[in-house]
Amino acid sequence: MDLTGLILRVTAGRPHVLLATVPGGAAVRLAAERLLRARDWPQASTPAKADLLLVAGPDLPELRTALERLWRDMPAPRARVHARTPDEVEAALDSGRALLGSPAVQRESAAPPGEAVGHREGEHGAQERHEGDDQAPGHDGDGGGEGEAGRAGDAHGGPDGEHAPHDAGQDTEAEHGDGRQAPDGQVPDGQAPDGHGDHGDNGNHGDHGGHGGHGDHGGHGGHGGHGGGQTDMPGGLPMAEPGADRDGLTLDRLHLPLGPFLADWPAGLTVRLVLQGDVVQRVDVDEPARPSDDAAVEAFWVQPWLRAASGEPVTVGEAVRRRAAAHLDSLGRLLAVAGWPAEAVRAGRLRDDLLSGAPRAAVAPRLERLTRRVGRSRTLAWLTRGIGVVTAQKAREAGAGGPAARADGDVTARYRQWLADIRHDLPRLEDPAPLDVAVEDSPRGPWSAEAPPSAALIALLPPLLEGAELAAARLVVASLDPDPEELVSRGVVEVARG
Amino acid sequence: MVEAGAWWTLLAAPGLLVVLAALAVAGNAVLDARDAGRPVGVAGAVRPFLGVPRALVAQPRRLPAQDRLLWRTGVVTVPVAAVLSTLVVPFGGRVVADPSVGVVWFNAMEVLTWAGLWLAGWGPNAAFSLIGGYRFLAQGLAYELPLMFALISAATGAESLRVGDIAAAQDGLWYAVWMPVAFAAYLAGVLAFSFLGPFAYPAGRDLAGGVLGEVSGADRLLLQAGRWLWLASGAAMAVPLFLGGGAGPGLPSWAWSLVKTLLVLGLLVWVLRRLPVVRADRYVEFAWVVLIPLTIAQALVPALVNLGR
Repeated sequence: MDLTGLILRVTAGRPHVLLATVPGGAAVRLAAERLLRARDWPQASTPAKADLLLVAGPDLPELRTALERLWRDMPAPRARVHARTPDEVEAALDSGRALLGSPAVQRESAAPPGEAVGHREGEHGAQERHEGDDQAPGHDGDGGGEGEAGRAGDAHGGPDGEHAPHDAGQDTEAEHGDGRQAPDGQVPDGQAPDGHGDHGDNGNHGDHGGHGGHGDHGGHGGHGGHGGGQTDMPGGLPMAEPGADRDGLTLDRLHLPLGPFLADWPAGLTVRLVLQGDVVQRVDVDEPARPSDDAAVEAFWVQPWLRAASGEPVTVGEAVRRRAAAHLDSLGRLLAVAGWPAEAVRAGRLRDDLLSGAPRAAVAPRLERLTRRVGRSRTLAWLTRGIGVVTAQKAREAGAGGPAARADGDVTARYRQWLADIRHDLPRLEDPAPLDVAVEDSPRGPWSAEAPPSAALIALLPPLLEGAELAAARLVVASLDPDPEELVSRGVVEVARG
Repeated sequence: MVEAGAWWTLLAAPGLLVVLAALAVAGNAVLDARDAGRPVGVAGAVRPFLGVPRALVAQPRRLPAQDRLLWRTGVVTVPVAAVLSTLVVPFGGRVVADPSVGVVWFNAMEVLTWAGLWLAGWGPNAAFSLIGGYRFLAQGLAYELPLMFALISAATGAESLRVGDIAAAQDGLWYAVWMPVAFAAYLAGVLAFSFLGPFAYPAGRDLAGGVLGEVSGADRLLLQAGRWLWLASGAAMAVPLFLGGGAGPGLPSWAWSLVKTLLVLGLLVWVLRRLPVVRADRYVEFAWVVLIPLTIAQALVPALVNLGR
């Protein structure tokens, strides 16, 4: 009797799904979230707890390595499916469940090639692991720490250098938490941390918020020849370098990329952080990944504006509905980041009902309730007060004009602004007048293909994040909620090319 | 008075704890289903338990340069400490052991989770996990002292650290009634050491799961079980400490214990859904400026009452 097989079949009925949304996949993500909620398939926030990887959106070659890394980090039994359009989601999820329940998944992580619906991805588990071994030093997620040797050295020479000896104890602690990544098999004797650092940088391409680092967790990873540099590089991983921090201490620098597939994070946005402790010291924002054939993506949240701009007839009601749903989507994400999953789910439901055309009478009482619970929550306001202050003037200078500018304040002011905007929009959900792009703002600000509002929001990020704690940094990003899709959308790309 | 030491209680106590924890998980799942607009029913309530066999067949993770020994130690410590803590919690008229320092034993087991969670965050050698471990220490600095003063208030009221004595001393008037601050601080402490709901900061979703971010399979099951076991254990301990133990009219004492425990557990599950995660940087300030003075003042009340007697 095959007990394992039986368990797999039974438990495949409730897989934990890791939803990886690529830019252009917002509509697919919404369809998937709606379906997962209805089926009670929990969403996983890391590969470690996921059984099923669902890639939502078009193929983006730039993000393929990052997706591979997610897949490699998932423990077997696992399966992987891809939905390119919202209509494919249901079939993709069904085939994912079938894969997870199949006997094949016992021996290998199941991702058999499939031509059928759902575009299952084809690599075989064993082959994957070989690939992993070959590229070992490269797929190391946070490896950037090692590439920092030069800069860290500067910091030592700097005014804070004298602090270094006092902090030795702290350093050793932090070092272990930091120097991780590549399996050691590939490190030749005496290879300088420099060279390794380069690899680290390669590996940095947006792993799942720092979870890319586990090359060999598959259980068969190459623990090959341990190099001579063993003492300097535990597990073949170079140590982090210390640097001066804002409080005049010398702490280790932790290089942590956030995105592009982090849960509750703008899809495709990659922000590279240098952390000391959990305080952000430096911020670099990557260019968003672009689809190989431009003009393939139509940004979902600004779709009515794009269509109206290209001359199609669009009603104000449709645009307003989309905008209210976009605010609810942002709010749900902020609530998830703030650690309030129960209300995040409610915001998501309201969003989906709005998008499926629910009349105002059905939406209004539930919005009222959400405003009462969330908008007037003193606890949430206390937790978000004073974080990420953007004055109206600062926002205007950056070119942002939407709710972020009108809120004129901190995270609290911004989520309250969203709620106020939705309330304001409710009476016009059925407005049949034609949409004038110049009059109605798109969800994140006045729409312009030359300067999409999300570009301004992204430009606001680095100064806001520097000096913030990691938890606060996540709240700031969620409260501005830039949409990288706008930057790679049809229309915008064409304008950029002239 | 409670009767201690019967051999079968050694099996019954962990069994009962697991049942209570499972009830809490099921209750939470039902509320989840209601919020998500799914049909509310038994099927939805038991679905989370599909994760148990799933975890047992999942592949364990191995990370580069992990500290396997400490990682596993930490992961195992959390649920084991939760089970050990119940050894001194009387249920009706029965308890596994009723030592003269029962309250201290409970508190010591709870502090073990500090070490356990910290090691669980440290072991995998991953940034988010490590930060999650640190977060629990920061949270611990905030909740632990108010919790200890709450425990001390109850012990001072009964002039004993023996849990059985504390339950017996509340003859007629529950400590929850005339020590409401201690009771509230204790309940907040329970949520904090089970790192659930408003105190899920170490396992925050903004950290992609924090201390839970890298564990899979049986390890994950143990840590998750540890959270709910601690919630159940904390709820069970609230009954002898603040709600008069098994005392009550009509029903046998075990029934009263069960009813009170379930009520406290239900209250905790409801609260953990009603609040967002309280970040430790804000909570530490609140705890030290407001909660600690309040709980000290609260501990003073039974002390003065006893002096005056």
